Amino acid sequence: MTVSDRIRAYLDGLDAWLHGLYHGMIEHPSFEKIEKEAEDTADVFMFACFADAFGIPSPVSYYTAELLPHLTEEFVAWERRMWDRESLVERKGQQYHF
Amino acid sequence: MNKFVFFGGKGGVGKTTVSSAYGLRCAAEGMRTLLVSTDPAHSTSDVFDQQFDDDPAAVGGYENLWAMELDPDEEVKRHMQSIKSSMTDQVSPAIVNEIDRQIELAHRTPGAYEAALFDRFIDVMRDSEAYDRVIFDTSPTGGTLRLLALPEFLESWIERLAAKREESVDLFEKAAVGDKSARRKLEQDPILERLAERKADFEFAGETLREAAMFYLVLNPDELSIEESHRAVADLTDAGLTVGGLIVNKVAPAPDDGESGTGATYLRERHRTEQQRLERIRGEFTQPVAGVIEQRVSEVKGDLLAEVADDLVIDTEATAPTI
Repeated sequence: MTVSDRIRAYLDGLDAWLHGLYHGMIEHPSFEKIEKEAEDTADVFMFACFADAFGIPSPVSYYTAELLPHLTEEFVAWERRMWDRESLVERKGQQYHF
Repeated sequence: MNKFVFFGGKGGVGKTTVSSAYGLRCAAEGMRTLLVSTDPAHSTSDVFDQQFDDDPAAVGGYENLWAMELDPDEEVKRHMQSIKSSMTDQVSPAIVNEIDRQIELAHRTPGAYEAALFDRFIDVMRDSEAYDRVIFDTSPTGGTLRLLALPEFLESWIERLAAKREESVDLFEKAAVGDKSARRKLEQDPILERLAERKADFEFAGETLREAAMFYLVLNPDELSIEESHRAVADLTDAGLTVGGLIVNKVAPAPDDGESGTGATYLRERHRTEQQRLERIRGEFTQPVAGVIEQRVSEVKGDLLAEVADDLVIDTEATAPTI
């Protein structure tokens, strides 16, 4: 193995490490945080649309029912999350990966 | 000149009689007139002795006159069916069952009936090029007022929903850090598109009601319906709608001077009180009294309509709303 090969291998390793470090410290947590925020906002939207799924009468559910064909998977997942969620701390704490 | 004329008021004051009579008068004057009953307990069919349904039908025996009775139950069913069928086109059957419950729920809430009726209102107003005048015989005050206040309320609600949706989709786009692709995209989001369509509907309804519609309240010369009319005028004005005037129906006629039996005395007494109330109405409301209709001995309906109609037309002609 020539010197140049060894240097390239070393640099490749370093690159992989640095990328991993960047991904682990910056990229992934920020992506996760924003996406979680997006999910939370989406949940608020779903709740405003379909509050009657939880027994709260909603004056617009007649109109929002029209959205269901486009929202099916989101809706089912959302309903499950809303029934199952244990506490806000549990969800907000997820990002720390204990 | 207002194309859409609404007659509202407390239950049993004679809205159907007044709107039918007004419809006859408009038709007689050569205007192509559509009479729309929105009261769940339809009585237009009884007045004209002809069965009407959800589509405009020519009224037998009269020229230029069409009538229809809105059926919100039909509309609710149709709405539910269309959602369900677009579901089966797009989604796997396993999930459809879970969603079905929500769809049924949404169509069984009390608001569904009003929303459906409101949709039909919009349809009728949109498809009204064929008519010179559309007369709405509405349901008793409370229901109608709530209905007519809907556009503004729904518009702002839909706006807020759309804003929330936009916020979340925007965040999903931002979450696409590095080489990840966004889970949802702002452009061609079917939800936002649907909400925008709805919003346009509500805007159209609100604009039409505020700018091309005139409201008349029918009342009887009694305390209860005067009080209710006060509230109705306030609510309608608050919603930015124009109240053109009041029509006092079922006013007792005065007996002839020579008469003095028990019946005549009762009638004279009654006539006197009602004239006082009529004065009160003229004094208390800023809206003009656009018509005073005397009480008929028999119900204005069925075969009798033919006999009374001429009389009624003259009657309303002398005192009809001037628009």
